[in-house]
Amino acid sequence: MEAFGKYLTEQIFIWDLLRASKYPLILTALSMPIAVCFGMVLALMRMSRFKVISWAAAGYIEVMRGTPLLVQMFLVYYSLPTLGRMLDTDWLTLNNFTASVVCLSANYAAYEAEIHRAGLEAVDRGQREAALSIGMSERQSFLLVVLPQAFRIVLPPIINDLIAMLKDSCLASVLGVPELLTTAAGIGKARLNLEEMYVAASILYMLMSLACYAFGKWIEKKLKASGTPELNLEQARH
Amino acid sequence: MPDEAPAKIPTAKLPTEGNGNGIVLLEVQGLKKSFGPKQVLRGVDLSVTRGEVVTILGPNGCGKSTFLRCLNLLEQYQDGVVKLKGEVVSRGRPEGYHSSRVECAEAEHLRRRVGMVFQRFNLFPHMTVLKNVMLGPRQVLGKSPQDAYAIAERMLNKVGLWEKHPCDPLTLSGGQQQRVAIARALSMNPDVMLFDEATSALDPVMTQEVFRVVRELAAEGMTMLLVTHDMDFARDISDRTVFMEGGIVAAVGTPEYIFDQRPVPGIQKFLQRG
Ligand SMILES: Nc1ncnc2c1ncn2[C@@H]1O[C@H](COP(=O)(O)OP(=O)(O)OP(=O)(O)O)[C@@H](O)[C@H]1O
Ligand SMILES: [Mg+2]
Repeated sequence: MEAFGKYLTEQIFIWDLLRASKYPLILTALSMPIAVCFGMVLALMRMSRFKVISWAAAGYIEVMRGTPLLVQMFLVYYSLPTLGRMLDTDWLTLNNFTASVVCLSANYAAYEAEIHRAGLEAVDRGQREAALSIGMSERQSFLLVVLPQAFRIVLPPIINDLIAMLKDSCLASVLGVPELLTTAAGIGKARLNLEEMYVAASILYMLMSLACYAFGKWIEKKLKASGTPELNLEQARH
Repeated sequence: MPDEAPAKIPTAKLPTEGNGNGIVLLEVQGLKKSFGPKQVLRGVDLSVTRGEVVTILGPNGCGKSTFLRCLNLLEQYQDGVVKLKGEVVSRGRPEGYHSSRVECAEAEHLRRRVGMVFQRFNLFPHMTVLKNVMLGPRQVLGKSPQDAYAIAERMLNKVGLWEKHPCDPLTLSGGQQQRVAIARALSMNPDVMLFDEATSALDPVMTQEVFRVVRELAAEGMTMLLVTHDMDFARDISDRTVFMEGGIVAAVGTPEYIFDQRPVPGIQKFLQRG
């Protein structure tokens, strides 16, 4: 009994690891939706007929994709406050968690923008024309006809990026966010089993990735099912 | 391609008693359209009376599709006017012209009154057949779900496809898809229907399915403009046939006039090739 209790206290780190696992999930759950939405804005700007708007979006996308996320994080966390002091505002001073969310969102938005653009362009031109031909406005044809079809096209690559972001969220550790990797390293250094801890953390990352993948498949299936006749008939009759 | 429009278009005298009742429904005057330096339509004049079925023939690239697309402003044209029931519904604009908000709304209103059927059907694949036909009445006409449902039911019955209403469009045959597309256009209760090679992507059997629907519409008095490469059908269904060549109406008249008398040399060449 006593031996078992001792064993349990030795294994208590597992709970620390599991508790720290919430960080990748929270960081991703906050950042990915922002990235997808902001990415759509960027994609629409990129496709704008106004050159200035299009170039601004293109510039943003190239800078974000062309520079390391790690550097972006350092700049936002350490350099923005300096700029803020020069401008006499503390609006630019972010805590490490917020800075991580801002960087992950801003960086991934650039990738999502390109995905959205490809998705929108992949929808047949005739779809927009058919929508217009029954008197729909450009806005209606975009929201009701083009976007839902583009969404199906972009979903798999976005789920891909969701999983990538889950793993990139470990970069928040360099800003001192007590996330999974930080915790694993801390325990590993204290218990002198760093490799084991890294393996344990990796397994947790992988489990979360698999969960994300399953989540993506579930949404895809749900989307397919949303066209079922029963659903539509019910809506139509009442 | 002639450099200049002939001064006088060979036109047959129309019998006054026809399918139409003489009221001009659609009137096109001097419609000109360019894509950059390339002038595709070089002054098209045409008037269509109510209930009339007009087929448009012509060699590839003579501007038939572009003409239909200008009529419902899927393409902006540069010169001329289009009138519907005597009222100017659109006029030429310089190339690259950005429509104002009011002009966009006017274009949307015009498109409600002009139904269009495309060569490649263009059904919305993410909606059921029923939703495809309900979408216009719901979103554009603002009908209640019940009313839109009733409209869709009526239109799908008209094209003989009500039993397919719960299906995904892409599971239907080409001919069925095109008939749904016709139902979708009809759901807006348009004044005139435009068909751009509606059967070119279909095999002979499916083509006949679609033709049957078009014949029924003609019998009901729907005003229609059809671009087709099917000469037998054109001859059979037309009240009047338009022969386009080089971006103008080269000849217009009864099908007999166009097919038998062949008033311009272009028709001769065109019919021999086909
Ligand atoms: N978006 C466009 N941009 C540039 N040129 C175009 C465009 N659309 C059509 N054209 C040109 O306009 C001319 C007329 O095209 P249109 O499609 O109206 O011909 P058509 O009579 O319908 O031919 P077809 O029998 O092959 O369908 C063609 O020479 C075509 O290349
Ligand atoms: Mg054509």
